[in-house]
Amino acid sequence: MTDATAGAPAGKGSLLEEDKRTKRRNAAEARFKAYGLGAIGIAVTALLLLLGSILLNGLSSFQQAFITIEIPLPADALDQDGDGALDRVTTFTVKPILEQALIARVDELNIRPVDMSDSDIGGIISGEAPATFLDFVRNNEDLIGENAEFNILANGRIDGFLKGRVSMESAARDSNVTQDQLILTNQLIENDVIEQRFNWDFITNPDASENRPEAAGLGVAILGSLYMMIVVLVLALPVGVAASIYLEEFAPKNRFTDIIEVNIANLAAVPSIVYGILGLAIFINFAGLPQSSPLVGGLVLTLMTLPTIIIATRAALKSVPPSIRDAALGVGASKMQTVFHHVLPLAAPGILTGTIIGLAQALGETAPLLLIGMVAFVRDYPELGLEGFTDPATALPVQVYNFTQRADPAFVERASGAIITLLVFLVFMNAVAIFLRRRFERRW
Amino acid sequence: MEDMHVMTSAMSTQNDTKISARNVQVYYADNHAIKDVDVDIQDKTVTAFIGPSGCGKSTFLRCINRMNDTIDVARVEGDILLDGEDIYDRKVDPVQLRAKVGMVFQKPNPFPKSIYDNVAYGPKIHGLAKNKADLDDIVEKALRRGAIWDEVKDRLDAPGTGLSGGQQQRLCIARAIATEPEVLLMDEPCSALDPIATAQVEELIDELRRNYSVVIVTHSMQQAARVSQKTAFFHLGYLVEYDDTDTIFNRPQDNRTESYISGKIG
Repeated sequence: MTDATAGAPAGKGSLLEEDKRTKRRNAAEARFKAYGLGAIGIAVTALLLLLGSILLNGLSSFQQAFITIEIPLPADALDQDGDGALDRVTTFTVKPILEQALIARVDELNIRPVDMSDSDIGGIISGEAPATFLDFVRNNEDLIGENAEFNILANGRIDGFLKGRVSMESAARDSNVTQDQLILTNQLIENDVIEQRFNWDFITNPDASENRPEAAGLGVAILGSLYMMIVVLVLALPVGVAASIYLEEFAPKNRFTDIIEVNIANLAAVPSIVYGILGLAIFINFAGLPQSSPLVGGLVLTLMTLPTIIIATRAALKSVPPSIRDAALGVGASKMQTVFHHVLPLAAPGILTGTIIGLAQALGETAPLLLIGMVAFVRDYPELGLEGFTDPATALPVQVYNFTQRADPAFVERASGAIITLLVFLVFMNAVAIFLRRRFERRW
Repeated sequence: MEDMHVMTSAMSTQNDTKISARNVQVYYADNHAIKDVDVDIQDKTVTAFIGPSGCGKSTFLRCINRMNDTIDVARVEGDILLDGEDIYDRKVDPVQLRAKVGMVFQKPNPFPKSIYDNVAYGPKIHGLAKNKADLDDIVEKALRRGAIWDEVKDRLDAPGTGLSGGQQQRLCIARAIATEPEVLLMDEPCSALDPIATAQVEELIDELRRNYSVVIVTHSMQQAARVSQKTAFFHLGYLVEYDDTDTIFNRPQDNRTESYISGKIG
């Protein structure tokens, strides 16, 4: 008794200094914390670099150089047969009008560089401008015979000069722009004729040809993506949730359901391009649905998203405590009442999160869409309404891919701008998911 | 098994038989969990099932309202008669059965809904109320019988999960009796409660005896002695002894019962 009490404290040592073992354990803990911090640091740095480079490259695509001048709308040139209708007017008719107006303004300001030709001055104007001007005239026929103030889209090189992409040195090596044009541009900026404005057209315009990066927009891609998301949501959510509820709550546990389970898990890991081939073979070649259409794209993305939604939904259903099921069955609810009155509402936040993650995945998917023709160059908007689902369209990520394939460096900015738009949509969807989840959880 | 026949004949019969089980066997896959159980449970009586962990008392309890149906691998053989009708008959819908045989579980499991909705859910799905006023009446009556009305009457819209453990369990009892069952099964209803809450629930069980046949599984022999009139002792899947509670605790016939009661086994 006395021996034991005398021996014990001596063996343990003082509490005021750490013994070897404690030191080792504390050191291990500190090391582990450092690893964790390091990992988070790497992740955050990568994210910041990514966002930074995209924003740096892409934000400028929402700004665009416009030439603002008074343009005369001569009746004799626009209404050649004098019947008051603009039936014979083409872009070739209006192009000289724009060019003459600009030349007149340049000469009025007396800023024409020595020996600069008229056609060189006209080259500042974008090749797309006559078409937009023609639309403007058609919508404002009452202005004919008067002067109209109009924002003319500037050539991509001039836009690049304003954004610092094009310089005097690069112009010397560039056959698409002359140094005189840049000198003139500087003068026009000083006289407030050329300025940068916010560029809604980038969001609403359709794609433009390789030579007119300044006019290229995302309108068709955004509509196409929207239509596809609608198809995915309408098909994948009910099918996915129904499949999960059956598998989780009703299906007997036997070898057959085990096989289905394993296969669903495997489907989630199938490379997405394989779904593209499947879609090409089944929906286009066999079922004869139109190529490049959001309907086919949506169907392919539905197949791709289903496993994600099923896995998320089943996890959400599994996380509902069995005691809730017991309670409902105990008061005499049927299996279906138990599921729909109690289990499903409790699992809803998880199901929503899974669905939105699946949708976001589908929104960012490129590979399967390449195979079903959505990579095509589409200038026409798909119809608003049901017919639009079978009209040709592209999708946002495919548009990014398309932009990056083009030679003109102006498309680098466009591609980054498209990525920003895509990210904004993804952030928006996630915000909606979080909002809905909060709502549901408050209601429990 | 000889001793059991002795007991069955020795059983007093002051009340009608509500549930009678004959030769019941339960298997979980290959595991034979309940073996040859014969028992007659009387109306308006509290019957306690006692026995060491894993002896099958909960399993047998869950047979009475077919909760074992929800377990894929469980298989029940033999006859269980409720008022002379075989509840395992092919024609019996377990949902209808469970409206007659209510159940309270070991862990309080209120729905994550308001107190009112918790109690109103059963009557709603069984169509017991014609209108809102009717339903209000049923809810109030059930909560009063559950001995919890005074504590919650001012906050019927508050979440049932926000109550204390003892209140939650009484809410679950109120929920179970709101559907007007004839039999109330309780699976260790006090094991998650403190002594004060336990006393409240026990008092409530004694009240309920007037209208229902109550079957309670308990780990606490004191509780069985306090609340029940009849006690059944299960051991290793067998019903060893079934008799008046007094007899079981004071003059047990079987020496396994005696060993358990005196704390030598279990």
